[in-house]
Amino acid sequence: MSHLNTRKRSSVSRLLPVAVAVLALLLAASAHAAAPGIKGISFNLNAGAAFNSQPDGELIYSWGYGCTNASPSPATFAPSTVVGAVCPTVQFPGPTLIVTEGTNATFTVTLTNSLPAAAGNTSIVFPGLTVDPVASCAHPGLLTCEAAPGGTVTYTVHIPVGSAGTHAYYSGTQQDLQLEMGLFGAVIVLPSQTYGNCTTSYATGRIDFRLAQSAYDNNLTCYDREYLTQWSEMDPRIHRQAEAQVRANASCTAGAVGCSLNVATEPYHPNYFLINGRSMPDDMDANYAPNYPNQPYNGNPHMHPGELVLVRVIGQGHWQHPFHEHGNHVRILGRDGNLLFAQANNPATGPNTATSSPLLAGRMEFNTDTTPGQAFDGIFYWSGKGLGWDIFGHTTANGATNPPCNPDVNGYYTTASGASAPTYDGAGNFTGGAPNYYEWCQDHNVPLESNPIGLVGGGGPMTLFDPLIATNGLWFNGTPYLGPDAVLRSRGPSPLPPGSASQNPTPESGIAFMWHSHNEREITTNDVFPGGMLMMMLVDPYVWHIDESL
Amino acid sequence: MKRLNQILLPTLLICLVPAVVSAQTPPVEQGGGSFRVQCPTATIRHPGATATGGSGTAVNATPQSSEAAYTGPASRTATRSPDGHTFPALTFLDSGGAIKCQQISGGDGYMTEADGNQTYMFSFGPLSGLNAIQKGQPGTQFPAVFNNPYCDMSINGGNYNNSQPNPYCPGGDPNGAVGFLAPPAGSGFPANLSVGIDASAIMNTGIMNGSIPAPLMAFDEDDEFLLTLSNVGMIMRPDLFEQHTVHFHGYPNASSFYDGVPDATWAINIGGSATYYYLAPDAGTYFWHCHITPPEHLQMGMVGWLYVRPRQNRVPAGTDLYYAMAGAGTQASHGVFGTATGLSQQSDLRTACFPGLPTTGTPQGPDILCSAPKPATHPTPAVLQGTYASSDPSGRPGPQGYVVGDNYKYAYNDGDGSTRYDIDVPIQIHGFDPNFHFVGMTFNPEGFSDMKDKYFLLNGRSYPDTVGVAGGPADVLGQLATASNPDPASHAQFTAASDTQSRPSQPAPLLITLSNSAGPSGTCVVPTGFTGCGQRALLRICDLDVQEYQTLSTIGIPMTMVGFNAKILRDEAGNNLYIKTNSITLGGGESLDAIIDATGVPAGTYFLYTPQLDHLSNDAENFGGLMAEIVVTN
Repeated sequence: MSHLNTRKRSSVSRLLPVAVAVLALLLAASAHAAAPGIKGISFNLNAGAAFNSQPDGELIYSWGYGCTNASPSPATFAPSTVVGAVCPTVQFPGPTLIVTEGTNATFTVTLTNSLPAAAGNTSIVFPGLTVDPVASCAHPGLLTCEAAPGGTVTYTVHIPVGSAGTHAYYSGTQQDLQLEMGLFGAVIVLPSQTYGNCTTSYATGRIDFRLAQSAYDNNLTCYDREYLTQWSEMDPRIHRQAEAQVRANASCTAGAVGCSLNVATEPYHPNYFLINGRSMPDDMDANYAPNYPNQPYNGNPHMHPGELVLVRVIGQGHWQHPFHEHGNHVRILGRDGNLLFAQANNPATGPNTATSSPLLAGRMEFNTDTTPGQAFDGIFYWSGKGLGWDIFGHTTANGATNPPCNPDVNGYYTTASGASAPTYDGAGNFTGGAPNYYEWCQDHNVPLESNPIGLVGGGGPMTLFDPLIATNGLWFNGTPYLGPDAVLRSRGPSPLPPGSASQNPTPESGIAFMWHSHNEREITTNDVFPGGMLMMMLVDPYVWHIDESL
Repeated sequence: MKRLNQILLPTLLICLVPAVVSAQTPPVEQGGGSFRVQCPTATIRHPGATATGGSGTAVNATPQSSEAAYTGPASRTATRSPDGHTFPALTFLDSGGAIKCQQISGGDGYMTEADGNQTYMFSFGPLSGLNAIQKGQPGTQFPAVFNNPYCDMSINGGNYNNSQPNPYCPGGDPNGAVGFLAPPAGSGFPANLSVGIDASAIMNTGIMNGSIPAPLMAFDEDDEFLLTLSNVGMIMRPDLFEQHTVHFHGYPNASSFYDGVPDATWAINIGGSATYYYLAPDAGTYFWHCHITPPEHLQMGMVGWLYVRPRQNRVPAGTDLYYAMAGAGTQASHGVFGTATGLSQQSDLRTACFPGLPTTGTPQGPDILCSAPKPATHPTPAVLQGTYASSDPSGRPGPQGYVVGDNYKYAYNDGDGSTRYDIDVPIQIHGFDPNFHFVGMTFNPEGFSDMKDKYFLLNGRSYPDTVGVAGGPADVLGQLATASNPDPASHAQFTAASDTQSRPSQPAPLLITLSNSAGPSGTCVVPTGFTGCGQRALLRICDLDVQEYQTLSTIGIPMTMVGFNAKILRDEAGNNLYIKTNSITLGGGESLDAIIDATGVPAGTYFLYTPQLDHLSNDAENFGGLMAEIVVTN
C-alpha cells in the first residue's frame, strides 16, 4: 500500500506544480485523516511565533499554540492508530485537546506565553465551557486571566456530563489581531456513555480511528469515521505588519513604554482561505507531514459507502463560510456541544433531555455555515440510495462475476442480509467480504447505459457521450461506477481517457465529491485557482482499505 | 463531420481498448461526436405502454406526455428494456413519475444592468422550452414536446434570432429541442431512443444566447430527468477552450459521474453535447451551476435554478395526506391507499423515514438522513387533498399557477398540508462585479482576491428592472394579458426592463401578484373585512453569490420559512419547526423555501428587499439592487 500512497501524494502536488513539486519529494505518508490531537486531563500549551506555509510559496509570519518543550504532556496522542504524531511548540491550528466528560470532570491547560515581548499578553478562552476563576491572577485581562510575555497561566475547565461535542478555544486577548495571527484550536469532549448499537455496523477488521463511538450522549449520534475541520482566513498585510513591528521591537522589554504593536486589522481583506491551517492542495497531504512542520492537521476525508461520518467543524476566522458538502446532506447534531433534540416526541413521558436519547432535531443541510466562534457537529453518509441505476456496474450480464445484493430491512446489502463483512489484514489488504457491501439493493443490476459496455449490460436510459469530446478530471476513475471491479467490468483495465485517474487510481477507483466553501472566491489561494477552502471527499470501495494512520 | 467520426471513432476505440469493443454491440450511438440530444419516450423505469415483459403494468401509461396520480408504490418486474435488451427479471417499485428532458447551451452572452451597463457573461442559455422560458416558466419538457424541432412562428417570422432561416419552420414546436432530428430509418438507433441534432440549428440559436439566471428547471418526484448540455463555445473569448458542466447542487446520494465537478468526473468540450441523468430526488428547492473554475464561472453568470415538486401534489383529491405519507401497507399486505393500512411513501424504503432506533414492530432504521419524517400525529380533522374550485385570478396556469380542478400544491411531502401554496415564485440571488466581468470580456485574467460585487441581482435583474415595465402589472410568470402587457405570445413585453426595452437574456422579472381574497376557499379563517382566503406564494429562494452572505426582508407581509436546503423544517419526531420571519439570510450555495400568505393583507404594494443597505444599489446609483415588489390585490 505504501507505494500506492507515495504515488498518490506526488500526484496531488502536480495540481500546483511550481509551488509543491519540491515538497512532493519530501512526502512519505498518506493523508487520510481522523481527528488527531492530544488526549489527557492536563495540557501544557505554548504560544509562540512561526511561519505558515502556503502553496503559492509564501511563508506567512503567524502566532499559534503548541506544546511546551518541557511538557510532561501530551501524555498521549489520539487516536492511537494514527502514527507519526508530533506536537511542535507552535502549530496552526493549535493542538486539538481531546478530553472525556464526566461527573465533576475537569481538565487543565497551562499556557506559557512565548510570543515576542512586543506582542504583549496572551490567554485562552473556552467558549461554552465553564472555567474556574484563576486564583491570584497576576494579569487579569478583559475576558480572562492573561499570561505576560515569558509568564504562564493555568485554566481549569469543567467538562461535566452533557458537555460532549466539538468546542473552540482561542485567545481572549486582543482578539482582532491574535486570532488573525492564528491563536486558536479545538477541544473535543468525548461522551461518557457508550451504546451497543454504535459498533454493530462496524465491519470486522477495520482499524478504528474514532475517538469515541458516538458524538454525544445519544444513541442516534453513532459514527464510523470523524473529521475535524477548522475554517479561517488570513489577510497577509496584517501578518506582514505584525512581523515588521516585532522585528523593529526585537529587543524591547515586555511592558516597557513602546514595547507594543500597533497593527491595523481593518480594513480586512483576506486572500488566504484555510482549512486546518492549510490551503488546498496542501490540505490533502498527510497529517503531521514533515513539510508542514507547523501545520500538522489535514483535510482529506475518505469513507466507505454507508459509513456514518462525523463532521466536526469550527469557524475560527472573521467570516462565515458556506461549507458545501457534495454528495449528500449533513444532519446537524448540535451547536457548540449542545445536542439539538426534539422537545417532546412522547409528551406522556415528560420533556426530553439531552441524555435521554430523544430523536434529533438538527437540520439536514447541503451547505453547513461555518460561523466565527461557533462549532457544530454533523453526520454525513453516502450510500447511493435513489440513484436509479447500479453504481457498482452490476448488470445481469455480468454473469458469474456478479455478486448478490440481498436487502436487509433498510434495503442495503449488509451482514444482516447475509453479506460477509469486509475484513483486512494488518497491512491493510482487503482479505475478504462482499465488495459491494452496503449496496442499495433496489438499484442492483439496473443498467444505466443503453448500450452494453464491456461486461456491463445495456438497456438503460442513457447513451453516454463520446469520450473523445470530454475532458476528464484527476479524481475521475474513468467510468460512472464505483470500485476497481466495476471499472474492470465497464471499461477494462485502461479506462478511456485518461489511462489512469492519477488521484484515484485503480485499485482505489472510488468516486470523489468536492467539499468546499461555496463563497467560491474562497477556493483560491492569493488569486490562484484552485486553492483555499477545498477538500475532496472520496467514497472508496470496501476493497480499498482506508488507512488513516499512514 | 458526423459521418467521419462514425467511421473514425470505432477505429480509435479498437486501438485503445480492444477487449472492450469486442464486447460491445455496434456503437452506432457513439457516432456524431458533436452535438446531439437524447430524450427517450420510454425507459425500463417508465415504459408506459411499451411491453417490458415481466409482471405488472406501469403506473404511468403515458410517461412521454403526462404525469399520473400517486397511489403508493407498485411492484413491477421487467425482463426487457424498451430498446430491446433482455435480461432476467428486474424488480421496480413504481411510484409513477414521467420522463422529462431539457437542453441548454453553455457559452456566453450579455445582460443589461439596471443602470444601463452592458455586462458580459459566461452563461447557459435555453435550447429547449424556449417559449416557456420567455414566459418565466421552466424549460423542462415531456418527450412528446421535446422531441420536436424548435419553431416559433411568432418570433422573427419563424427565423432564428440571428435571422438565419429555421428549416424546421413552419412545424415543430416552440418548446421543442433546437435542431432536433429524429433518427433516420435504418440508422441503427433504437426507435424509441431519440439521438441526433442539427448542429447548424444549435449554433444559430446557441451562440450568445446565454441568460441570467440560467434556464429554469422543474420536475416531479419519480421523474427521470435527462439534461443535455451543448457547449457552443464563448464567441467573445475565442482564446478560451473552456469546458462547462452542470452541478445539480444538493442532489442527495449523488453519483460523482453526474455531479459536474470537473476534477471528479468529465466535462464536455466545445462543440460537443453530453447528457446528464437524474432520477428525481426528494422534493425541494435546489439549484444548479457550472462547476468549472467556480469562482470565475459562477461570478460570470453560469448560475441556474431548479426545483422538484413532491409526490403529494399527485395524491388524488379527497385522499388523507397523512396516510398517503405514513400508511403502513406493504406490497404483501395492504389496505386501500389513503388509509392507515394503505401503501404510502413508507412502503418504499427509498422514501421511508425511520429516524429512531429499531423497535419491535418497526425493525427499520435508524436513518439519520431519511427523506422526510411523517408528522408527529395524524392531524385532526384529517387533512385531505383538495382541488381548486376556480382558476388563478391572474391567469397563471399550472403547474406554477393553477386552473380549476388542479390539485393543491405543496412544497414538501408534509403529510399535514402545512406547506400548501398556490403560486411558485423561484428567486435567485446573485451578485456581479462589473470590473471582473469587464476584465473577463477583454481577454485578461480576472483577479479573485479583489472581487467585489457592485450589482446585486434578483433573478438576474436589479431594481427597478426586477418589476419589469415601469408601473405595469407585469407578472412573475409573464402570463398576464393586460393593457400594458398586451401580447402573451410575444416575449418582448415579458422580458421588458424599466426602460421598456426587451431583455431576452433576463427572462425572469420578479413581481409577485397575489389576491388577498380569491385564494382557495376553506383554507383559512376569513379575516374580518375580507371576502375570502388569500393566495399563498412559495418563494423558492436560492443564493449563488460567490462573495458574501445576502439577506432578504419583507415589509408588511411576514414569511413562513418551511424548508431549508431542500428539506422540510421538521424535527425527527415530526414536529414542524417553521419560522415566521421578516428576513432570511443565505450564503452562496444555499436555498430555502418561504411562504407568503396574502390572507388579511390590505391591497397595496409591498417590498421584498435587502436590509443590507449597501446592496440596494446599482453600482454608482444608490437606489436599486436587491429589491422586488409584492402586489396584493383585492
